Amino acid sequence: MSEASLSDNKMSATCSLSEELRDLLPQTKEDFKLDFSEKVEKSVVVLLHQARELFYEGKKNECLKTSEIIRDYSWEKLNTGNWRDVDKEWRRVYSYGCLLKALCMCLKTDDIAEAIRVCDMGLLMGASILGNILVKVVNVLQKHLQHGKRPSETGIEELSKKKTKSDHTLTPAVKLGTAVPQLQCPSLEFFRKNYLVPQKPVILEGIANHWPCMKKWSLDYIQEIAGCRTVPVELGSKYTDEEWSQSLMTVNEFISKYIVNKIPELKQDICIPDYCCLGNGEEEDITINAWFGPAGTISPLHQDPQQNFLAQVLGRKYIQLYSPEESEFLYPHETQLLHNTSQVDVENPNLIKFPKFTKASYQSCILNPGQILFIPVKYWHYVRALDISFSVSFWWS
Amino acid sequence: MCTTPPQCTRPRRPSAVYSHTPPPGYNPQALALGEDVSSFPGDRRLVLSGSVNGQLSGCRDAMASEQHVLVLRVEVEGTPAEVQAWAAASELQGEPLWTRKILRQGGRKKDSGSGDQAGGHGGSPLDPALLPLVPEPGWYVSPRQPFSQPLAPELKARQLVLGAEHALLLDETGQVYTWGTGRLGQLGHGALEAELEPRQVEALQGLTMAQVAAGGWHSLCVSEAGDLYIWGWNESGQLALPSRAIAEREKTVAGAKIPATVGDGDPAQFISIQPFPAFLDLPSGSEVSTASCGSRHTAVVTRDGELYTWGWGKYGQLGHKNTASLDQPQRVDYFADNLLHVEAVICGPWNTYVYAVEGKN
Repeated sequence: MSEASLSDNKMSATCSLSEELRDLLPQTKEDFKLDFSEKVEKSVVVLLHQARELFYEGKKNECLKTSEIIRDYSWEKLNTGNWRDVDKEWRRVYSYGCLLKALCMCLKTDDIAEAIRVCDMGLLMGASILGNILVKVVNVLQKHLQHGKRPSETGIEELSKKKTKSDHTLTPAVKLGTAVPQLQCPSLEFFRKNYLVPQKPVILEGIANHWPCMKKWSLDYIQEIAGCRTVPVELGSKYTDEEWSQSLMTVNEFISKYIVNKIPELKQDICIPDYCCLGNGEEEDITINAWFGPAGTISPLHQDPQQNFLAQVLGRKYIQLYSPEESEFLYPHETQLLHNTSQVDVENPNLIKFPKFTKASYQSCILNPGQILFIPVKYWHYVRALDISFSVSFWWS
Repeated sequence: MCTTPPQCTRPRRPSAVYSHTPPPGYNPQALALGEDVSSFPGDRRLVLSGSVNGQLSGCRDAMASEQHVLVLRVEVEGTPAEVQAWAAASELQGEPLWTRKILRQGGRKKDSGSGDQAGGHGGSPLDPALLPLVPEPGWYVSPRQPFSQPLAPELKARQLVLGAEHALLLDETGQVYTWGTGRLGQLGHGALEAELEPRQVEALQGLTMAQVAAGGWHSLCVSEAGDLYIWGWNESGQLALPSRAIAEREKTVAGAKIPATVGDGDPAQFISIQPFPAFLDLPSGSEVSTASCGSRHTAVVTRDGELYTWGWGKYGQLGHKNTASLDQPQRVDYFADNLLHVEAVICGPWNTYVYAVEGKN
């Protein structure tokens, strides 16, 4: 080591990263549990055992190759059949593959951003293993990541240009008689009796405006905390377009390419609305999503299978709501994939093709930062972002 | 790739499961993920090798999955043929997990007499079986539970191939039917809906197909005229259509040739799902004689004895001496360089078996 011309800083940084990662892992290979149901083929279990063996013997290169096979094989299983039918065991196998790969990569080549990407794939598509170890590994890796790869100033400039040049610059007027009612901090009972039980939308004020995210979330902050993390991104102005697609990329890439969720750390800045306790489900069954996109982003008219609180953090959203009783006027798609989506473009309806749409009665609002909109289950909703927008949605039952 | 094994006129159809090229210095035995199943017509012996080893006599044909081996077997000459499913882990010892007798020998040849005993006495052996079709109409088999499935006899199936979640059937008049899940466009009907029953691929109506092949999530067929049609999932370029993943990898590899057509992430030009058949021209304009698909790659033999491959290449399955994936057909130069004339190709999920003979002039 004394003869190496490596800078001492780099060497000690690598060592401390290895040590920190090692501390997260079980000390012995016997404690590194590999238990799977019979769903997982014997040959795959053999490979997992081999990979574990190689890792604890310090044979990083060989472990890396074996983990790649494990990842690739289980990835094909994850892509077979509907996602909800994919056996959790295969998602666990995939997570093991990602974990071992990330550990071997890191310790070998010091390519930390790529290791984070691999862990994120395990978090997005895998299932929890070894006490949710991937989250811990990512945290350690993030700490050691050099901050050199931030989007340049140009990125931010282009962003502000985009902001002034939005497609729909006119803010729609909320039609008289259609406005969604607004309430300041209603009691649980009042909300339950007057809105949850009769399933009526309402805007809640004074609830979210104290959340840390309202003050803290800005583009810079998001990039600092989560820039290197991989998230799913929808591309295309709306998902009913032919060119719509989904893609995986880091938050930095998304910001620098298109602007301008799945990050547990950002969760600390938001709070689950108390009203969710009126539901039947457990708190851990509440699905929280963060939505982040440029002005003009449209979610076409659709319905969701759970109750929804939509909290607006930054920017404004124009929203139109239709009760499920109006469904017959909304022309849902007939295919299985899109049967919860209307064929009608709400702000530009084709009334020759969809004549009954004029009969559908609706409510509308502009949701401002600090406000939460209650969208009852299966309530049809159409959303257009009027500015660069951050929202957080809570799906609960 | 393997060349012609010795002592064998022509290997029937290897049915390979998962395996990969071990890196130098590594013990291949320990790393093989699955098993190789080969059947040699000379002695009708099934040989299993790789992570499990075993043998079975009297086998006419075989198919393997990671957990099961399915064989068409005449255990004793003169007795009826049977389909047997074995657990791979059993190493073909003991008893099969499941069996079903072939009651009537139909198949391609004319029946000699009205005898309903299959097999032997010097009479015609079972036709080269076309698993998963069996020489008895009304059902077909697969090396996964449930091992047999009904098949409408009216379809007069000539060839049947199975993907991860779908099936393609070629009938006697050269028409193609598909069924199964359609989520990735593999059925070729233009939408992403599943089909529970065989449905004809209307886009190919009127064309006479000679062969069909199925990959994990893509499909292809070869017409009598030697044209190639392909559809389904293109995430690794297995349809020879522009793939985003490949374009992005090429951009980041230093010094790599950047294809002129790659824009800066314009999503519209990449195709990840092709839901109805696309005609595919090979670079040389050659006619296709036979083709096969792996999990996410495709291999095609031309009438001039050349082999083209494309799609996922990470485990060397494309045979271009590297592990790059390709979204355009590329000739496998190994055969021309060694004066070998390619006659047949069979793909396992992540590998490719080629049958080639010394070059004809």
